[in-house]
Amino acid sequence: MRIGWLLSLAVAVGAGRLPGQRFHTAAAASVVTARVRTEQLGGAAQFSGAAFGAGGTLSLGRFQVGLTYLQGRLDPDTGSARARDLVEGAVLLGVRPVEWLTLSCGPHARAYAASGQTQRWLFWEVRVRAAKPFIGSAVRGYAELWRAVAADANVPEPFDHAQGGEAGMIIRLARAPLEGRIGYRIDHAVLGGGTRLETVDGVVIGVGLAWR
Amino acid sequence: MRRQLAWLGVLACALGFTPTRAMAQAADSLLVTGVRAYKNLDFDLAALLLRRRAAQLTAANAPVAARAEGLVYLGAAELFRGRRDSAIAVFRRLVMLDPRYRPDRLVFPPEVTSVFEGVRLRTKTVAIVVPRDTEIPIQEGAFRGWLVASSFQTVSVTLLYENGTSFRPLYFGPIGDSLEVQWDGRDAAGQPVIVDRLLLRVASRAPTGELASLLQLPLDLQISRPDTAPWPAPLADSELRPERAAGGAATRALLGGLLLSAAVVSLPVAVGSHDTPSGPRVAVASAVGVATALGYLLHRPSRSLPENIRANDAVRDAWRRRVAAVQAENGRRRTDVRLRVHAGDPAAIEAAGP
Repeated sequence: MRIGWLLSLAVAVGAGRLPGQRFHTAAAASVVTARVRTEQLGGAAQFSGAAFGAGGTLSLGRFQVGLTYLQGRLDPDTGSARARDLVEGAVLLGVRPVEWLTLSCGPHARAYAASGQTQRWLFWEVRVRAAKPFIGSAVRGYAELWRAVAADANVPEPFDHAQGGEAGMIIRLARAPLEGRIGYRIDHAVLGGGTRLETVDGVVIGVGLAWR
Repeated sequence: MRRQLAWLGVLACALGFTPTRAMAQAADSLLVTGVRAYKNLDFDLAALLLRRRAAQLTAANAPVAARAEGLVYLGAAELFRGRRDSAIAVFRRLVMLDPRYRPDRLVFPPEVTSVFEGVRLRTKTVAIVVPRDTEIPIQEGAFRGWLVASSFQTVSVTLLYENGTSFRPLYFGPIGDSLEVQWDGRDAAGQPVIVDRLLLRVASRAPTGELASLLQLPLDLQISRPDTAPWPAPLADSELRPERAAGGAATRALLGGLLLSAAVVSLPVAVGSHDTPSGPRVAVASAVGVATALGYLLHRPSRSLPENIRANDAVRDAWRRRVAAVQAENGRRRTDVRLRVHAGDPAAIEAAGP
């Protein structure tokens, strides 16, 4: 219900003047040094490892749709838990009311797979992203915050809330479409009234192509 | 219909009736009657009518051609009346009026033409033929006039101030049939004329050196100097790019980097996570800091901007070329001084009449 309202708001905001009607595409590959920490009943389990991902956006005027996919293997930092695989993906529909601001929403799914068991998470997120050049036109800084408006996870604790963010910079050299990105991202979910905390964070390093 | 035509005729007569027109019509009538009397050998009547006509035309300052036709008949009539002196006086007056005039040998008998030729040869006068308006460049042009002589004589051609003092002699010497005289618009010292009126005087002299006639032509002068072109306006600041970097970009890099680093470092707190290792955040914030420092150095205030300096040099060179072009054009215009000469009507200063 809330997602429907947000989509209606996004369409209303974007229904004004469309400065450019050409399609713009961007694609990127990234490596994430992911760290997953689960705190539950006074104990904590932490896994870390590298994940590799790819993503792309397609823009038309003020509207855009983005896809991301990430996969990697996480090894336990403490204890005798077994390593598990991380698979993550998101589909986000966005609108840019102004040049530097993007509002988006969509599903964000994450799964941990270990010895035949899979823990699935599905977040319906609303995101706000601001990006603006701050060193000439070559380096653009960005910061993004998101909050889950609904979630579904096959864990015993009921979902309470979840939010996250990412901040970093994108370096674009000369007039080439090649971009480099470095950023820090973090997701934090609270379940069962704080009896279970799930935190995923890491450094994102990526390269991409953006045709403008 | 007939009444309307009559009124139109009256109106046309009223509009067309002027004293000058009436005088010319009367003179033409006198000429026709006088010539008819001459052809009927009634020389007394012819002389009476033609003399009256000559007096009317002289009073009306009629054109030379109109006066010459009556005078030649008058001279012939006087000759056939046996008044040779009067005939000679009339012919002399005719020669003075128009030194180029010759009686038609098919109309007048040799008695008349031979007397006229004798008078012409003895009468020393010239006609001055000049364009009514002339414009000459002072540097290399010349005002030209033709002198047409009645017979071989000696003339002195002089330009005079209005008060009669000499401005510049142009020619002294013999003249046979005609002579071109030139004046370069300068005085005897070679300086451009500074007065607005001169008199062109031609003095004809007999072979004995005696002054025979004086003819004078007023010349109204006007010096025309073209305006110089205005210089190009000095270059405005808005036409030039800044040659030194302003501090805005450096400040923006510094503030943006600090803000972004702070956002990276404080992101876990913003999302409610309080137990997050700082290593990855600090690494990213450090990368942002290094980029910020490089950006600040690249955009540091007051650094020279070679691209803008080159662009400004091109703009200044173009301005200097425009100035040089205007200087050259003004130099050309300053030398392009022109003299406009308006010739009045010639007047005989001393001429004998019948």
